Amino acid sequence: MNQIVIDANKKFSLNLRELIEYRELLFMLAYRDIKVRYAQTALGVLWALIQPLTTLVIFTLIFGKVVKVDTNGVPYTLFALSGMSLWGYFSAVMSQAGNSVIGAQGIVKKIYFPRLIIPLSKCISAFVDFGITLLFLLGLMLYHQYIPSVNAVWIPFFILATIFSGLGIGIWLSALSIRYRDLQYVLPFAVQLGTYASPVAYPSSLVPQEYLAFYYLNPMAGMIDGMRWAMFGSPINNGVFISFGVSVFLFVSGFIYFRKIEGEIADIV
Amino acid sequence: MSDIAIKVENLSKLYHIGAKDSGLLSERISHSIKSLFSKNGKAQDPTEFWALRDINFEIKKGDAVGIIGRNGAGKSTLLKILSRITEPTTGRVTINGRVASLLEVGTGFHPELTGRENIFMNGAILGMKQAEIKRKFDEIVDFSGIEKFIDTPVKHYSSGMYVRLAFAVAAHLEPEILVVDEVLAVGDAEFQKKCLGKMEDVSSKEGRTVLFVSHSMTAISSLCSSAIFLEKGRIEFIGEVSVAINRYLKRQNLTSASAQINPNNVKQIHNGPRHIAELISIALFDRDYMPISEIEIGEELSVRIGFRVKQRRDNFEIGFAIVDNLERPLFGFVSTWEGFETKFNEGEHYVECEIPSINLLPNTYGIIVWIKEQGQSVDHEVSGILDFQVIGKDITGFNPYFERYKHLGVFQRSKWSLLEKESV
Repeated sequence: MNQIVIDANKKFSLNLRELIEYRELLFMLAYRDIKVRYAQTALGVLWALIQPLTTLVIFTLIFGKVVKVDTNGVPYTLFALSGMSLWGYFSAVMSQAGNSVIGAQGIVKKIYFPRLIIPLSKCISAFVDFGITLLFLLGLMLYHQYIPSVNAVWIPFFILATIFSGLGIGIWLSALSIRYRDLQYVLPFAVQLGTYASPVAYPSSLVPQEYLAFYYLNPMAGMIDGMRWAMFGSPINNGVFISFGVSVFLFVSGFIYFRKIEGEIADIV
Repeated sequence: MSDIAIKVENLSKLYHIGAKDSGLLSERISHSIKSLFSKNGKAQDPTEFWALRDINFEIKKGDAVGIIGRNGAGKSTLLKILSRITEPTTGRVTINGRVASLLEVGTGFHPELTGRENIFMNGAILGMKQAEIKRKFDEIVDFSGIEKFIDTPVKHYSSGMYVRLAFAVAAHLEPEILVVDEVLAVGDAEFQKKCLGKMEDVSSKEGRTVLFVSHSMTAISSLCSSAIFLEKGRIEFIGEVSVAINRYLKRQNLTSASAQINPNNVKQIHNGPRHIAELISIALFDRDYMPISEIEIGEELSVRIGFRVKQRRDNFEIGFAIVDNLERPLFGFVSTWEGFETKFNEGEHYVECEIPSINLLPNTYGIIVWIKEQGQSVDHEVSGILDFQVIGKDITGFNPYFERYKHLGVFQRSKWSLLEKESV
């Protein structure tokens, strides 16, 4: 017989076991998101390619042909797409997770489950688009006959770290935006700015030395550098460690903060 | 193992209403500036609202308990705390067993997903394991009666199908404790009956604990053995269901727009010779059990009649007629026509009559009520006590301009057809 105690003065606990118990709901929510996103669209999953493709063309024209940034010997399309795919995944996880709790208020007000499941599920549903972009990147690498180095075994690590940072910020935003809806309007703007504050279209070697420490406070700066290092053997610096530290910090702190205010969500949202 | 299913101790819930939680940063800032300049910062915050205050009760395993009270009495807050949707401000609740709460049917249903997918989605949200849903899948589909459309997105469903599917999932949860809000308010009468039947099975046959909030005293009294009557966040009464309902109705009649019957406010009183019973109140409600004095044409109307029995009889008849503004009766409703139980002991009683659709053209109408022993002359009759308005609405879909025909009184749907083609 399981006993549930609801106590106004209960001690705070992360209650990870409860989250694991609800893992099936995590996948159901993700499945629902994926299915709904492409329902009744004529092109369906192709949309996942069209957007990065157009950006890629623009970047290639401006930074590859006009400005001619130094990519350390990597074909510019490969260089840009590797950064774009990771940045795209990060920003999708961040903004979808950030808006997720407000978007799920209908459910939140009617039934109990660990609310953290809602933002967490976004890293799965956003992975579909990311996976498609990655496949496209792989195809482009074959086309350029580019052989990745042994560093490639580190690719999953940088993807994981990207999930940490995307979810970290996303969870913080989802928890704060139920009270401060203003954040909803900041998000798209932040994504836009972030594209230029990260080495997506240009290499981080262009950033002046004295700003590098600040530059890598942006967790994605280090992750994109790392991804390029793993894929193409591009140069890398200690900034990766700063970025990784920041993303772990964001994730852990967001996780704890969300669990703390979880109980109030239904009252405020 | 104790036989207590739910134990609630000193439970309170405080809500902050108004500016404080609007979620707008600007309002929050202006609020803090205002409170900075207010002279007595410690004065009671007018935006504070205690939805529940010092609630204590125990529910035994296998009990079916109703929760009644007016809107805003704290019923929903109590259910929300018990189902862990919201946290209490003070106090403690101990629940022994798996809880399933149905505050809504079809939570998490998505219109783009098929019936099949929604069963799994909804099941997962209600806390069922995928394996469990798979095992019960056929049963759920069977219960819902929509096998043919199970792979169709639910956005193409009629609202009836949607609700049936949603309830089918909920009905196959196997919790030890079931917490149900007014989910029965949706769907047609037949469906509501099915829901009630299922809930009765759950509580009486399967011996599970049921907590049920409703405004329908009929549903509460048929399903529950005891009830909690909440008023302004506090427990007003807890115990036998009939006593709880009685207190609630008495309180409601004192405060709602309904009419108390006394010689001063009645146009005509007819007193029979035997004085076996006396009418004391009459009230009108809409389908959501809100007290009303106006109703749209074709809507459901409930008439609640209170009376005091002075001498016990086995065959009372309670009736009322709806009359036009000239006191001409248009419709009659008599308890014995419908086989309604007519045995009443001494004391106050309340009965309710539901009229599925009020077929009257827009106008003002009155009510005549009587009580008597079957086959005898009228014992107590009152008229002119309560007027209500019927409001026009295009229920036929043909711009009927009902207002122009108010003198016709009764409205009845009809079919028109042409029998001969014009030969020119």
